[in-house]
Amino acid sequence: MHSFLQKFGRLLVIWLPLGWLGIFFMLPLVEMVNVSLSEARRAVPPYNPAFQIGKDGISFQPAVDNYLLIYEYWEDYLWPAVNSVRLAFFSTLYCLLFAYPMAWWIARSNKSLQHILLVLILMPFWTSSLLRMYALIGLLNPNGVINDFLIWAGITVTPIQMMQTDFSIYSGMILTYLPLMILPLYASLVRLDNSVLEAAADLGAKNWDIFRTIILPLSMPGVIAGCLLVFIPAVGEFVIPALLGGPEQLMLGKVIWTEFFRNRDWPVAAAIAIILIAIIILPIVYARYQDKESIS
Amino acid sequence: MRFGFILAFSGFVAVSGHTLAEESLNVYNWSDYIAEDTIANFEAETGIKVTYDMYDSNEVLEAKMLAGSSGYDLVVPTADFLARGREAGAYRDMDLSKIPNASNQDSEIQDQADKMVGSDSAGLVYMWGSTGIAYNEDMIAERLGDNAPTDSWSLLLDPENAAKLEDCGIAILDAPTDVLPNVMTYLGYPGTSTDKAHFEAAGDALSAIRPFLRYINSSQSINDIANGDICAAIMWSGDAFQAAYRAEDAENGHVIDYYIPDEGTNLWFDVMAIPADAKNIENAYKFVDYMMRADVAAENVNYVWYASGNKAAMPDIDPDILSHPGIYPTEKAKEKLFVTPVYDAKTDRIVTRVWNRFSAGN
Amino acid sequence: MTPFIRIQNISKKFGKLLAVDDVSFNLERGELFSLLGPSGCGKTTLLRMLAGFEKPSEGYIEIDGQDMANVDPADRPVNIMFQSYALFPHMSVSNNIAYGLKRASLPSDEIKARVEELLRLVHLSGMGARKPSTLSGGQRQRVALARALARRPKLLLLDEPLAALDKKLRSETQFELVNIQEQLGTTFIVVTHDQEEAMTLSTRIGVMDNGKLVQTGTPNEIYEKPETRFVADFVGDISFLEATVIQRAGKYWLMKAATLIHATGSSTLTSGMKVSLAIRPEKITLTSQPTGQLNEFPVEIEDWAFYGAGTQYKVIGPDGIKLKVYQSHNQPSQANPRQLETGFVHFSPDATFILEG
Repeated sequence: MHSFLQKFGRLLVIWLPLGWLGIFFMLPLVEMVNVSLSEARRAVPPYNPAFQIGKDGISFQPAVDNYLLIYEYWEDYLWPAVNSVRLAFFSTLYCLLFAYPMAWWIARSNKSLQHILLVLILMPFWTSSLLRMYALIGLLNPNGVINDFLIWAGITVTPIQMMQTDFSIYSGMILTYLPLMILPLYASLVRLDNSVLEAAADLGAKNWDIFRTIILPLSMPGVIAGCLLVFIPAVGEFVIPALLGGPEQLMLGKVIWTEFFRNRDWPVAAAIAIILIAIIILPIVYARYQDKESIS
Repeated sequence: MRFGFILAFSGFVAVSGHTLAEESLNVYNWSDYIAEDTIANFEAETGIKVTYDMYDSNEVLEAKMLAGSSGYDLVVPTADFLARGREAGAYRDMDLSKIPNASNQDSEIQDQADKMVGSDSAGLVYMWGSTGIAYNEDMIAERLGDNAPTDSWSLLLDPENAAKLEDCGIAILDAPTDVLPNVMTYLGYPGTSTDKAHFEAAGDALSAIRPFLRYINSSQSINDIANGDICAAIMWSGDAFQAAYRAEDAENGHVIDYYIPDEGTNLWFDVMAIPADAKNIENAYKFVDYMMRADVAAENVNYVWYASGNKAAMPDIDPDILSHPGIYPTEKAKEKLFVTPVYDAKTDRIVTRVWNRFSAGN
Repeated sequence: MTPFIRIQNISKKFGKLLAVDDVSFNLERGELFSLLGPSGCGKTTLLRMLAGFEKPSEGYIEIDGQDMANVDPADRPVNIMFQSYALFPHMSVSNNIAYGLKRASLPSDEIKARVEELLRLVHLSGMGARKPSTLSGGQRQRVALARALARRPKLLLLDEPLAALDKKLRSETQFELVNIQEQLGTTFIVVTHDQEEAMTLSTRIGVMDNGKLVQTGTPNEIYEKPETRFVADFVGDISFLEATVIQRAGKYWLMKAATLIHATGSSTLTSGMKVSLAIRPEKITLTSQPTGQLNEFPVEIEDWAFYGAGTQYKVIGPDGIKLKVYQSHNQPSQANPRQLETGFVHFSPDATFILEG
């Protein structure tokens, strides 16, 4: 009986996470591939599933038309993709530049302060991200709090246009994604052995040298994890640029949105998403995997 | 990524509080689209428990309808979305004999909507309106003088005017089917055209003013124009009046007005309709009948400032609303109003592509 | 001649805690000095002040005539080998060793040559390309040593250099360390809580207790002539007998501690004085029959422990006095003492010493 329970427990420990991943990650992905290979139609649901289990048994009739359509009009998708990658790249970069000193500071604080600071970092997650964006709009508007202050203080006469600029977009992106960068950085910096830093100082390294040769390389896993956590969702982001940006920001996320909602073409929308995963995300994940292999 | 999430879970989405009990009803309507006590009054009168949810775009409603099993018993799509939804089999016909108050309806409006949907039993028009231009009177006068064309699309679509307004901020709706046909009328093409060349010409005209646009967004301009953060925008009539009301309420000195351009504009109709898989159909009929009562319809109009499809309600409607040409157009303006056809999938694609190219700036 | 390293009246306070309390000592060039003491005695804090990681609250440190007060750790002619070794895990062995040399901007072929030389010195030739994580504990310790020696420091600080090694490896490494120190002639300060280690390694030992340096001396002086009860107890095993001085007896003193005992003592003793009489276990001989020697009395054997090279006994004498006795197994004439339940002990008066208070 005892060993049965043990065995069962062990199986549970292995299969529960796998099952979770399977149900909540793999199945939707498989379903998305299925939709991307289906034919659009005006019906409920608005596509004819490529893979079907029906009265007549199992049928699988994939249609690659959706992919061909994307191939044919590739320019329509390329530029939004470039926009999205550029947005994701710079958002990731700015987040990294802001998050690093913050994570360092938190990791070097005493334990009780660390807990408080981490809770503060996570606090924005307790409110809706949309709400935070509107709060930001309230700050940055020509009639917003910041401009009111600048005019009151006599620093400027006419309001400074901060909304609908790169500044407002990246403020929104940083506001939203910064915690995702800070947490993995913190996790890798807090593990850094103080005596290793002292050893470097003892061997003649000055501050910048210590950072460049010791701290940065040793926090690289955190840097990579943080960059992935920010970059991957940022590629699909379109709400923030739509709310805070000017007209020049057509994002791939918005293109997928229009395919889905405006053209009612769920299969093409799914196909774009699949291609996005294939082109942008898989190589990153693969490179990361390779990296891990070579380390161990 | 968001898309995958929507796709994965759309099948599971159901209305909270949905039950099989007779005396309940699940309504899905536009946000800010009903008087404050209408639902409570209906519940008190009929004893039917109403779950009232709101959306703010046709696209969101449509996706729910197309995914199926939404759990709603009554929804209010715009006519062209209703037409497409019916094609997909997402809606059921309405039995008007179960709605005695249907006789209160303005037949002229209802006929136009029916023509667009392609059926006279698809549903009853709740409100209707136009797409036009909302503007800040002082800011426009300051920049364009007394001869500002506040009766024409050229106020925004003429690049010369747009350039002069760039500094105070101009915006347009992110709604291609409400903007492109109107740009076509401005260019002298019929607004009802489905010709690819006409759409592309409209796209080019928009691209010409694109450098002067603050943004392309459907929901932001209400607040921004009310606060004076932008000075003119292509907007839906009701939104424009909401902005005007907010500015007045805030006493911030901004006076907002709205007009239907002389070149003409498209009309739209929001129609009360019943989803194909609705569970509480009888209650949905009772609700529609209640909404069609003259006094209830008038109260709603007085609250939301859109034109009603209800003719019997007219005497109870605020005279300020009835006499405003931006809400109830003059006979002369009516001649130029048009109803856009329901586009097929191919035209959808053309519209989307033209729109995306314009908004991406290529 | 001024001493090579001068540590004068150094104190360090952390808040209210006085971690190091007015410590002064000097070192000559080439010494291998051990700071010995229990954990928390302030020896590591003293070491960190020498390395420059902590600023003394008071006092003065001078190395080769240079005042260290305002010199950064990076610029001191001092290197430290950490207890945890603190190797850079992302660098190869060679790069670890070369780290300090690169900071000094040495030409790369010189760095290469120096690294090779150091690898040879610590018997790691050919392992330069390995990562620290692939090395054994002993190998890592040697990398840390090579790295700390690379800049040819005037003073090398070693914080518990052998603590992380297992016992067998520790004694081998001890000799290795002494060898290298003698080869290079570098001045070493070793911090340790292990008195055996301090004894083996050092030319001199400083014993610390509660932030104070209580005694410095050669290992022999510390062992044979501890100046306080703390030092005597901390360095090696020892038994104490509470005794009363009776009178002078030739070159010795006659004392009463349950039984009459002859002991050494200074001329400051007077009749009737109460003293602690200390004696090391190995200085006592245990026999089954009385031998008629001085300072002999019967004992009961309470407990014993076998150590291979010898056996340690706990015995109880007259009036319940307790003694530790260590019998080395190099005397075949002795009956196997382990079978004894009672016996006799005796010790030479020269083996005793008196600690006052």
